[in-house]
Amino acid sequence: MATYVYDGSFEGLLSCVFNAFSTRRLPHAIVAQDDYHPELLDDAIHIIADETQAERVLKAINQQTDGEAAALAYKIFLSELPQAAMTLFHIIKVIVSAKNTSILKNFGNSHILEAAQIEKKIHREIHRMHAFVRFQKTNTGLFYAVIEPDFNVMPLLGEHFEKRYADQTWVIFDSKRQYGLYYQQQELCFINADHPVVPRQPKDLQSDILDSSEKLYQSLWINYFHSVNIQQRNNKKLHQRHMPRRYWKYLIEKSQPGSRPAVNTSYHSPRQKRNQSS
Amino acid sequence: MSKTLEKLSILSDAAKYDASCSSSGSRRANNSKGLGNAEGMGICHSYTEDGRCVSLLKILFTNHCIFDCAYCVSRRSNDVKRAAFTVEEVVDLTINFYRRNYIEGLFLSSGIFKNADYTMERLVRVAKLLRSEHNFNGYIHLKAIPGASPELLHEAGLYADRLSVNIEMPSEASLKKIAPEKNYGDIITPMNYLKEEKIRYQDERKTPARKTPLFLPAGQSTQLIIGASPENDRQILSLANDLYQKQRLKRVYYSGYVPIATDNRVPTLSAPPLLRENRIYQADWLLRFYQFNVDEILDENTPHLDLEIDPKLSYALRNPEKFPVDINRDEYEMILRVPGIGVKSAAKIVSARIHQTLHAEHLQRIGIVWKRARYFIHCPGGETHKDRQMLDLRKIILDKEAISNPPQLSLFG
Repeated sequence: MATYVYDGSFEGLLSCVFNAFSTRRLPHAIVAQDDYHPELLDDAIHIIADETQAERVLKAINQQTDGEAAALAYKIFLSELPQAAMTLFHIIKVIVSAKNTSILKNFGNSHILEAAQIEKKIHREIHRMHAFVRFQKTNTGLFYAVIEPDFNVMPLLGEHFEKRYADQTWVIFDSKRQYGLYYQQQELCFINADHPVVPRQPKDLQSDILDSSEKLYQSLWINYFHSVNIQQRNNKKLHQRHMPRRYWKYLIEKSQPGSRPAVNTSYHSPRQKRNQSS
Repeated sequence: MSKTLEKLSILSDAAKYDASCSSSGSRRANNSKGLGNAEGMGICHSYTEDGRCVSLLKILFTNHCIFDCAYCVSRRSNDVKRAAFTVEEVVDLTINFYRRNYIEGLFLSSGIFKNADYTMERLVRVAKLLRSEHNFNGYIHLKAIPGASPELLHEAGLYADRLSVNIEMPSEASLKKIAPEKNYGDIITPMNYLKEEKIRYQDERKTPARKTPLFLPAGQSTQLIIGASPENDRQILSLANDLYQKQRLKRVYYSGYVPIATDNRVPTLSAPPLLRENRIYQADWLLRFYQFNVDEILDENTPHLDLEIDPKLSYALRNPEKFPVDINRDEYEMILRVPGIGVKSAAKIVSARIHQTLHAEHLQRIGIVWKRARYFIHCPGGETHKDRQMLDLRKIILDKEAISNPPQLSLFG
């Protein structure tokens, strides 16, 4: 049993799997270099990321699963969960010894189920990002949004936003992992925090760099958000289950809780007011 | 611009009683490098404090109305502030909200001003401007105004993803009493017309040589108000079932009556009947996704849904001879009927059991609601409940599962 140490990249992780199989030395653990703390009795194997090896692994598992396993493997990697690397190793082991191509549907196998559950978490996070990204328009015409997803889902967001905002220049920036996606109506690319298009305070846009109409549309949205609520049906528990608190800071309608509608909408009959307060 | 803010407050407040929020089911792709894409599944961009999804900019074009429907906050005789958008204002709000990723699109309804065609024509103009001037491919849901001309409805169908005509009152008698200017004929006629047009376009699309435009890709929906009139749950579900079958509606929404109006034609409720609304939604799901028919859910002797337990559990308790279901052998249809097993778990079970026999622990890890399902299934490592009287079971389940829903006052008796 050995501890495989890799550079933290997807290719590096797959190279560990490749070497574990080709040398028949099963991993006890697979850890990224940054998370590796040498211990006395460790039998550490340092693996250099090798694109050819990585591609061979992906090709092999895809062949065994009608082309499904490579995408699943990438999502498991992006989850950044501590058990992700070993889960990936285990399902690859299950896949290569499987007798039929529907092996990923065998939820009776604990590794497959674990992988499916990680995938579900990733999908939920992607869906939340599709929902909770809030662009602000800057005075250069850029639509800018900042997020802090639980998992590293940025590489899986591009296609959705590119299709949707094909005629608009936009950046989505992950302030936790300090990189983002940049689309300028032609092509999509990854950018780092030091790219000139990223504002100097990437988490908190200063009002002097915003488009002159930005604050207006924000206040219209906040106003709308409050006036479509039906007070007689209030259900804060449900509200928070759908929109967990940790996402609120980038939702303009939730990050400014004092921002109640500016216009007085209490024009209902007196009877209804009684109902609301009861 | 504070004028826009005031209009938005009034006209979104008046639109919020429409329960529909769906933005899914369309196939409108952004192929033109324009703005927006409505081919995927719907997205809820936010949730209000009542726990409802905010997916679309849901507003009235105006709350001026010549009708006097007792359940409606915008009825002619109600003393509320009135406002009206211009076509350009609605377009500008939609585009700017969409560009910031606040919404999936627009849900535009309206009070009836002047007449049906005049109103419908305004709604169509908004949709047309969005589609043709702004190259907007987001989701558009328009109200089909009862009594509007077929030409306008047809044009609306070419721009909108979905159209809806709300029935509101679950029987013609109630509609006459509560909304004197409306009748079932005026509501069903546009539904049937739009259904036929959609089928015609779908048939044309099958001819590969011609490029046929989309027509209502997300179909039609409607809404029924629950608790403002005396219909029982069986009548409501039968009506919904007819609408799914005959008018081919994609969705029927149910809106627990929120006592917004002081008008002696509708009852004064202390709170909206939310629990009853929830049970009806559960029954609607059984119709659409669980292969139940109305008679299996409710019959003449039990015309109301049980408020204490959900309709699927209620079915299982009334039909003890159909259980336990053998997880490893019985058909998918029967696994779907087990209380505590949803559509996704059922699909997982039937694909996993090909590979190996499923034990109780597998089922628990797959994610079925074990504390509920265990009484109704047979599998290795499971429990045997063959001899247990189903009446006992109801008590056991109710005792074990603390009821989190608040009790509801009875409305009609």
